[in-house]
Amino acid sequence: MALVVVALVAGAAARASGQTLTASAAGDVLTIRVAGFDFLTGEPIGRLKDGRSVRVELAVTVLAEAGRSPVTTSRQTFALSYDLWEERFAVRTVSGRSQSISHLSQAAAEAWCVEQLAVPLRALGVLGRDRPFWLRLESRVPNADAAAEPDEGGGFTLQALIDALSRRRRSDSSTRALDAGPFRLGPRGGATPSPR
Amino acid sequence: MPVGFVTRIISRAARRTSGMKLTTSSDNVRSNVAWPAAHRCEPWSRDADRDILETQTFGDGSALAVTTGMKTLALIVTLLATAPQAAAPTQTPVPEGTVIVSAEVTGFDIGRLSPGLRQEIRDLVGTPLSQDRLNELAARIEAERPGYVAAARAFTDPGGRVRVVFIVGRSTDRDREENVNARYVVEHVDITGVPESELTQALRDEVDALVGQRLDSDEANRLEARMEGELPRYDVRRRIRRGSEPGSIRLVYEATKREPPRWLRFEPSRTTVVYHSDQGWGSYLDLGIGWRDVRFTPIVAIDHGDDLIEDYSGFGLRFETRKMGTERLGASLEWTSFEQDWRGATLDALALDPAIPPPYEDRMTLTPLVRFAFSPELSVKAGVSISELDALPPAAGSMMANAAVASIDYDRPQEAASGSTHDVHASFGVRAGSRALESDLVYTRYLGRAWYQYGWGTHRVHVTAMAGGITGEAPLFERFALGDSTTLRGWDKFDISPAGGDRMFHSSVEYGYRGVGVFLDLGSVWDEADDPRVRASTGLSFRAGPAFVAVGFPLNTDNLTAVFMIGLRAGAGLRVQR
Repeated sequence: MALVVVALVAGAAARASGQTLTASAAGDVLTIRVAGFDFLTGEPIGRLKDGRSVRVELAVTVLAEAGRSPVTTSRQTFALSYDLWEERFAVRTVSGRSQSISHLSQAAAEAWCVEQLAVPLRALGVLGRDRPFWLRLESRVPNADAAAEPDEGGGFTLQALIDALSRRRRSDSSTRALDAGPFRLGPRGGATPSPR
Repeated sequence: MPVGFVTRIISRAARRTSGMKLTTSSDNVRSNVAWPAAHRCEPWSRDADRDILETQTFGDGSALAVTTGMKTLALIVTLLATAPQAAAPTQTPVPEGTVIVSAEVTGFDIGRLSPGLRQEIRDLVGTPLSQDRLNELAARIEAERPGYVAAARAFTDPGGRVRVVFIVGRSTDRDREENVNARYVVEHVDITGVPESELTQALRDEVDALVGQRLDSDEANRLEARMEGELPRYDVRRRIRRGSEPGSIRLVYEATKREPPRWLRFEPSRTTVVYHSDQGWGSYLDLGIGWRDVRFTPIVAIDHGDDLIEDYSGFGLRFETRKMGTERLGASLEWTSFEQDWRGATLDALALDPAIPPPYEDRMTLTPLVRFAFSPELSVKAGVSISELDALPPAAGSMMANAAVASIDYDRPQEAASGSTHDVHASFGVRAGSRALESDLVYTRYLGRAWYQYGWGTHRVHVTAMAGGITGEAPLFERFALGDSTTLRGWDKFDISPAGGDRMFHSSVEYGYRGVGVFLDLGSVWDEADDPRVRASTGLSFRAGPAFVAVGFPLNTDNLTAVFMIGLRAGAGLRVQR
């Protein structure tokens, strides 16, 4: 059996506000796990509890250095829904190959989504073995209910200006990001935190 | 393919499907599946629909299954058990790197794939097995045939040879349902917040048809949109609630009455920051601060001359209320104080025409107005405009230009009809300077304007037209000018009429696709004693939000030069005040 599940060498990574990102190499891909990274909050949860589905876009980006341009990015879109009778979450991948899971708690549903993000190790190039790398995990919940337009008679007003400027902030409220690193690939392919 | 793995998958799936049992025997999988009627094991065929191949994982993490609905499970079993090439599959996973001896597609006519993809599948033969490569090809099959799902499976025969099968099945919307509640049956549909009688019988019938069916989110969303269409004064939101029995749900459409449109609108913003290659920079900023019914608007102008023949700088303040006892009645009071700069061309032209009132150094204006709305679209306003004009040195003293002002405005907000939008604005105003108002200048000024925009998708066409006339002795700030960033783009107003004119007409047509537009302007400004000369210009424009860039070219002239304009403009582009 050539399909070897590589032993996971868990590497603690970044802790920011109780959030932890762990990277592991399994086979020829790098997968991540995260704790405390909640992207289902606020209005999306309300929509889910109303029996509607919510799409979430997740992306993990490999960086050669914090704040530098990305080396590679893996993205995936998920459709989440909340079973009204079983009071459990279900997730289905929207992009790529179809995968689904059900009967999850909210935290488990969020974790499952993150675990589906896989970065091919070959995409890292020299990173990991010869040089450390950083990871950036981002989530975005598109807002289905667009912000109401300002009063039709308002024209260019201070309120409209505030609305325009705060639109980004509103968008940010459903966009979350977590940076972690540096990581270094272990001898068996596992990713371990690199001493800073 | 590990048989134990598959059987565990099927067993788990079977536990979740009442009436289904599965047994296996020997090294080869021998399935004895008692399927529910709806999932009876049938031979795979290309026409078999409602099958979807997917990876299904249960929340307890105890199984990672490959299913396509029950029929595809049966298919996998059948393939394992009966396909000659898959005979006697081993219990162990196929090792990566093992040479593939055959590769085929089942459940789908391979001829419907692109030649390149067909060849790549055939080229697998003789190459080492790579699950990533198989997954990549399966993904490409799905990409080429969006209505289908595909999975790649590798089998090892007793001789250790590896055979690859791409299992392809048709997907359906129900299979792709993103909402786990789609498995529940709609017990009842409630419509709250509005009497059902306000909906058409056809829509009510369609809503009623949801009852007794499994939840179809797309259909429920479609009906939500239809409801909003039939209830233009309501917002409609769909919710799902538990039904009275397990497995049933209630669909609730909640209609909430929208705030009705206001009878009166605040004065539209004139905020402009513009660079004109012939006229330089200028800006006029008015930023409203206020509440629902009241607004204060500070005004700041810096070398602004885009709408007049004077460049003016200064400040002001406007107070507005759009509710005085009733929302139909409003009022405003504007005070401004501007200092003027005059172009040499304007002063030269004024020196040659003593009939035009002299230029001034400062202009202070107070404008109280009362507004009344006949409807949310149609309103009138009336009041006075009191201006004190300080003489330009070496002259001394000041003169008053006090006028009664009145206008009627029609403003119809955007309307969507069959995917298109319409936007109409029109106004006609009169300003009359009168001795009765202690005015030193007696005159009457008329101005009519219309603005229409039609949009469909990313296309838009907007048409503007305006015409005006002045009789009597009007101050310079009342005189008409064309040739700026919104009119006769490509011409310079100080070349056309440096002292303005008392007659004017202008029209413009602009077609835009996304932010890019092409325009044709046509107009003339002249004095009554002169013959009008119609000028035309054309050019390109680009808009991104309030920012705009335009290049205009005068047409009927021997001096073909380009005029470049760039800046920011709030509001609806060409819909500017004059």
